[in-house]
Amino acid sequence: MTIFFTYTVLGLVLGAVYGIAASGLVLTYNTSGVFNFAHGAEAMLGAFVYWQLRFGWHWPAPVALVVTLGLVAPLMGALLYLLVIRGLRNTAEVTKIVVTVAIMLGMVALSQWLWNPNQPHTVDQFFGYASSFKVFGVSITTHEVITLVIAVLIAVGMRLLFHRTRVGVAMRAVVDDPDLLQLNGHNPQRLSLISWVLGAGLAVLAGVLVSPISGGTLDANVLTLLVIDAFAAAMFGRLRSIPRTFVGSIVLGLAATYVLAYFPSTWSWTSNFRISLPMIVLFAVLIILPQDRLQAAATRTRERYRVPSVRKALAGGVALVVVVFLLRLLMVDADIIVLALGMCFALMALSLTLLTGYAGQMNLAVCSFAAIATLVAYHAGVSGTGVGARITEWGVLLAVAVTAVIGAIVALPALRMRGLYLALGTMAFGVFVSDMVLADISPHVLPLLHIKFSLFTQGTLIIPAMRIGPLDLSDHTTFLMSVTVVFALLGIGLVALRNSSYGRRIAALKDSPVAAAMLGQNLVRLKLSVFMLSAAIAGLGGIFMAASVGAVTADNFSIFLSLALVMLTVSAGIGYVTGALLGGIMAGVGFSIVISSFNNLAHGGGGLSGLWSTLAHVSALLPALVGVTIGQSPSGFLHELFLGYRRMAQHARGLLIGAGVADAVLYVLALTKVVDNWWFGFLTYAGIVLLPAIAQGLRPALMTDPPPAPKPDWEAVGVDQPYTDQVRAALDTALALPATPRRTVPVAADPGPAAAPAVAHAVTT
Amino acid sequence: MKSPVLRTEDVTVRFGGLTAVDTVSIDVAEGAVTGLIGPNGAGKTTLFNVLTGLQRPTAGRVHLGEHDITRLPAARRAHRGLGRTFQRLELFLSLSVRDNLRVAGDIRNANQRGRIDVARESERLLELTGLSGIADKDVADIPTGQARVVEVARALMAQPRVLLLDEPASGQTEHETQRFGALLRQLVADGLSICLVEHDMGLVMQVCEQIHVLDYGKVIASGTPAQVQQDPAVIAAYIGTAA
Repeated sequence: MTIFFTYTVLGLVLGAVYGIAASGLVLTYNTSGVFNFAHGAEAMLGAFVYWQLRFGWHWPAPVALVVTLGLVAPLMGALLYLLVIRGLRNTAEVTKIVVTVAIMLGMVALSQWLWNPNQPHTVDQFFGYASSFKVFGVSITTHEVITLVIAVLIAVGMRLLFHRTRVGVAMRAVVDDPDLLQLNGHNPQRLSLISWVLGAGLAVLAGVLVSPISGGTLDANVLTLLVIDAFAAAMFGRLRSIPRTFVGSIVLGLAATYVLAYFPSTWSWTSNFRISLPMIVLFAVLIILPQDRLQAAATRTRERYRVPSVRKALAGGVALVVVVFLLRLLMVDADIIVLALGMCFALMALSLTLLTGYAGQMNLAVCSFAAIATLVAYHAGVSGTGVGARITEWGVLLAVAVTAVIGAIVALPALRMRGLYLALGTMAFGVFVSDMVLADISPHVLPLLHIKFSLFTQGTLIIPAMRIGPLDLSDHTTFLMSVTVVFALLGIGLVALRNSSYGRRIAALKDSPVAAAMLGQNLVRLKLSVFMLSAAIAGLGGIFMAASVGAVTADNFSIFLSLALVMLTVSAGIGYVTGALLGGIMAGVGFSIVISSFNNLAHGGGGLSGLWSTLAHVSALLPALVGVTIGQSPSGFLHELFLGYRRMAQHARGLLIGAGVADAVLYVLALTKVVDNWWFGFLTYAGIVLLPAIAQGLRPALMTDPPPAPKPDWEAVGVDQPYTDQVRAALDTALALPATPRRTVPVAADPGPAAAPAVAHAVTT
Repeated sequence: MKSPVLRTEDVTVRFGGLTAVDTVSIDVAEGAVTGLIGPNGAGKTTLFNVLTGLQRPTAGRVHLGEHDITRLPAARRAHRGLGRTFQRLELFLSLSVRDNLRVAGDIRNANQRGRIDVARESERLLELTGLSGIADKDVADIPTGQARVVEVARALMAQPRVLLLDEPASGQTEHETQRFGALLRQLVADGLSICLVEHDMGLVMQVCEQIHVLDYGKVIASGTPAQVQQDPAVIAAYIGTAA
């Protein structure tokens, strides 16, 4: 019985922390409409700040607490809201998700810069571990009592806030209709700001309280993933109800400690199971919850993509293969390996072009699907032994098929819900794969079969090279060109798919699920088919990636890598195959090259090593900074670049051809070793990025759109401004008034189908 | 009177303490336009959502022909011949006008038995609804009045038996509304049954054979346009009574 009481108390305390964290998550989601993936990261940063003040600088605990909770946390919440979140109105859910993911990655990078992850940072409980009470023969520390009391106070306080105070009621209204709220005399922006400040406070509080009760050592990754535990708890209240969220938290906390208490410790996976429990509970809740009600909400978002024709995609594919081959001629083996690895990640990112770019669905665990495919290929797809071992084409097919099926099983419960749930469900799956599957390193005896087996043997898998039919990919160049050709073929295939009837249907699914359903589309079936196809592509890319790396560890499939991949692909342009190419290369090798070059410079010693090391840390923050700016250009920076080139092709063709010739000359010079490869790469890259801007500088008139027709200042019309025929015509069309012969402007005289759009355009822009 | 093809039986919808639709029994006649009118907030769109499966009623039943469709999801109702447009436009904004129509045919072919020739049918409907001139435009770039016609044409691609139109004339010019009225009469003549929610009384009185008037969630009058126009309850609801 003592065991039961002991673990019940532990479970209640853990549940209390989950509850504090989860209530903050629910609060911000409901008042700003943005689900904060960085919630756990806020808790993590707060815990580290507290550690710094209390144990690093030995401040007294009350002072450290007041500064952490009263100053740092609110400041963090306010800055996030004002600098980033506020700019996310009228963006797609994908954009909102990716931006908070970027914040989360940025915070992790920042914490690793400020607090070296290789040194332990330990925190003590309030009043120490020795300070405790005895209740029913069970000892409870003062820290645990404090945690429980705070949780109860917060639960009651939130209830009162939302139901008894004017601010609280208004906060509940913000997410439903900010405009209406504004008309009623509230300031929705201020309310959202308050909710982000409070949310950050609750996150930091949870972070400060949880570390001492779960081992006492701060771990940035573990604390950051607290967001998933909090989310699992919040699911009990469908991300809305605070009381049910607290109930869910207690259930989760108790379940976690009972597993520890009563599962046989001889089972090798008991501790892995405990860590994964919130993810498993999450899936169970997702399966039980009733299907989301379809809601009419096709608001116009700011994302725009142009779909290329298959012919253009073909040309692009051929160009890519040629360019990669030409680059290869410049390269030594080490460079070829890096470029090939980048192409593998681009292949994985292609799964996102289909899933997110075309169909508007999310997958935050691409690398975990890559891991599944790799495991299947490793265990069941290899023929031969030793250096002669190869992954066969049948192994690849099997692995890809299994990955698609696993994708279906993972996604099915979440597909019945809004897009956010799929994002969270896949992220939970990613953590589950890391904690359960990739952590399954020590052999255990399989029941019935009596063979010793482990999924991720010894924590490192030696992946043999691939052999596809007669083609042996063990040679670096062959591998690079093969993965490039596969990328090009799949890219062309995706563009063809998008231009097919299936492609139109998934576009319809993305634009307006409710209209698609009303036309008779079975939404779950369509989403499922896209998700399976996408998981299969991720798996294929994963096998190539694993074969390229050679010896893979759990780090090659980490959830943080998946998140960076999604984020960078979205910031490059999720609607484009080129976006996958660029995003994949950036996530897979781009930033790590920059960071490791700076680190090498720093380790080289010399007077500048401090500077280089700082630059390395700054570069580690770069991807997150790129991600945070997505709110400004949600279609991705490639979209802007393409627009520039399209204009150049129309108005400044000479410059375009000239630049092409110049680069060809530069290439020949690099090939003949007259100029350094580095210079060739740098100038080419800079040229591609800057050319549209240069063209604009040279020919400003041609390269910019004609200025939009001046918009009448409606309030001033007829008072300070003349009441012209143009104004009258625009007013009539805007108000949909009858077309009377009074109007003399030719364009408005006949509001036929051809003329009307032009006028309406002038009014709305 | 013509036989009903779609009817509700004591449908009630409550949102918490608010009864948005209160024991409403109406029917939509086969091969005719049935109007559903009432002041703002009368429950018209909520009733539409019940008919199309976007809102589950608190009580009551919905019948399409002989079948009870109360518990069918939206897509399955579409398979049985129910189509609708939306008051707040729900066009597929990343597609062109033509592709908005074609995708409706694609969806029909992928989810139901019996294929239609998508290319030919979409051209026919573009022609019929007068959209041929703007077929290649991005649907995001056309004015509201025409966007409403695109929604109707898209719904027609699924070959519905009953079409529910939610304020199709708002945002249209008078000229467009006139053409729209003519289109509705032609569709009805070809055998389609239409239920029309509309604030433009000119259009309603012109095309409807039968009108149901809703106020505060209840049916306060049903009848021909002439009957409804003279009904004291309807006049009171729209203009208000002398207190």
